[in-house]
Amino acid sequence: MSIARASSKSPGFLTRVNPLAKIIVSLVITGMAFSVKNVWAMGVLAAVLVVLLMLCITRQNIRQIGQGMIAGTIALLLFVAIGTLLLNNVQAALLYGLRLVAILLPTPLLALTTPPADLVRALQAAKLPSFLILSLMLTWRFLPIIQQESQRILEANQLRGVDISRQPQHWFAGLFVPLIFRIVSYADDVTIGLETRGYDPNATRSMSQPLVWQLRDTLFVIGSVLVVVLVGYLDSVNAGG
Amino acid sequence: MKPWTLKDYVFAAFMTIGIAVASAIAVPLTLGIPLPGVRTIVWAPFGGIFLTLGMARLQRSGSVALMIGTLALLLSRLSWIITAFLVISLVITEIMMLVRGGYRSKFNRLLGNVIFFASTTVTGALIGAYTASPGLTQWLSQPWILLPMTLLSGLAGAIGWWLGELVIKQLQRAGKLDVDR
Repeated sequence: MSIARASSKSPGFLTRVNPLAKIIVSLVITGMAFSVKNVWAMGVLAAVLVVLLMLCITRQNIRQIGQGMIAGTIALLLFVAIGTLLLNNVQAALLYGLRLVAILLPTPLLALTTPPADLVRALQAAKLPSFLILSLMLTWRFLPIIQQESQRILEANQLRGVDISRQPQHWFAGLFVPLIFRIVSYADDVTIGLETRGYDPNATRSMSQPLVWQLRDTLFVIGSVLVVVLVGYLDSVNAGG
Repeated sequence: MKPWTLKDYVFAAFMTIGIAVASAIAVPLTLGIPLPGVRTIVWAPFGGIFLTLGMARLQRSGSVALMIGTLALLLSRLSWIITAFLVISLVITEIMMLVRGGYRSKFNRLLGNVIFFASTTVTGALIGAYTASPGLTQWLSQPWILLPMTLLSGLAGAIGWWLGELVIKQLQRAGKLDVDR
């Protein structure tokens, strides 16, 4: 939820880039992180992603950056330390640590800079089946509501003197059964609502704001290609390093 | 075979929400446990309830793909790795259940749950390990680790199925679910 909120607040360059281009670049970078074997090349890739993430978070909250940086650095150092102990090789442990950063960062970066509505537009533009987009939109819309419902059920139990939040053995009868009844009621209500409005899941849909390729999208793609070429070059030059 | 209706899509979407909420409730309990597959094992009994409900209501091949495909897309905002292993697991489940002719019978729903959660644990652990270090994948692939993990997650999926069937009975008694039995 915080990611969704954060993305709506960030009016930066990356936020305005075509979401489809961001998805493709994010997939390419993740794929590349798996194939790079040189620690310097991986370092450049991870550094670019960390800088971009910092730039995106700077728009949110300074305290969050500090906490995130400290937690991230500690986690990375721990990972490298354990890796060094297990592999008996500092360079390999560092490579795997940086690789983990390069694999894990593209998605939060994409999420921070792409509001759910933009992502839906991108998936529509990518010609994904309309029923899948409907399912995704419903899930995004109702997930917070159902989470609130589960919280209400937990609180109702607490009012009766039963705290089941840490007692999994009581979750079925105390939480999930009432929650399922609420979910099924919501599903019925939403179906009736959509049917009365004449919604046809198989009909061709139009977009109020169609995706248009702009100059900033070209710049983003050129920048990404340059990073990919640089990382590839460093990897091939220092092969085996 | 009956065509998919709007009601089916909406029901599947709400079951996806249920699976996601079950994960959000159950997984935090295991965050401190560094065992591969433990998160899926804890999530399966509760996520399996919603998966069983979806299978019982939709009954056709593709039901798991519809629910888990949406979940995989939703979780792509967290990590492509989660999306990858969920998609692999749903493909394995759907291919195996296509041979059995969908999820009309209770046994097929049990089988669907067991296959899905077992394959999720295995693919999740292996892909996760490969992401951390390829050497870890070799260690995890050993039968003495992989076999108990697969069996435990299959068992957890079976518990999810059993609880799901109990809820189906309650929903039918309340007139909230029209399922052919």
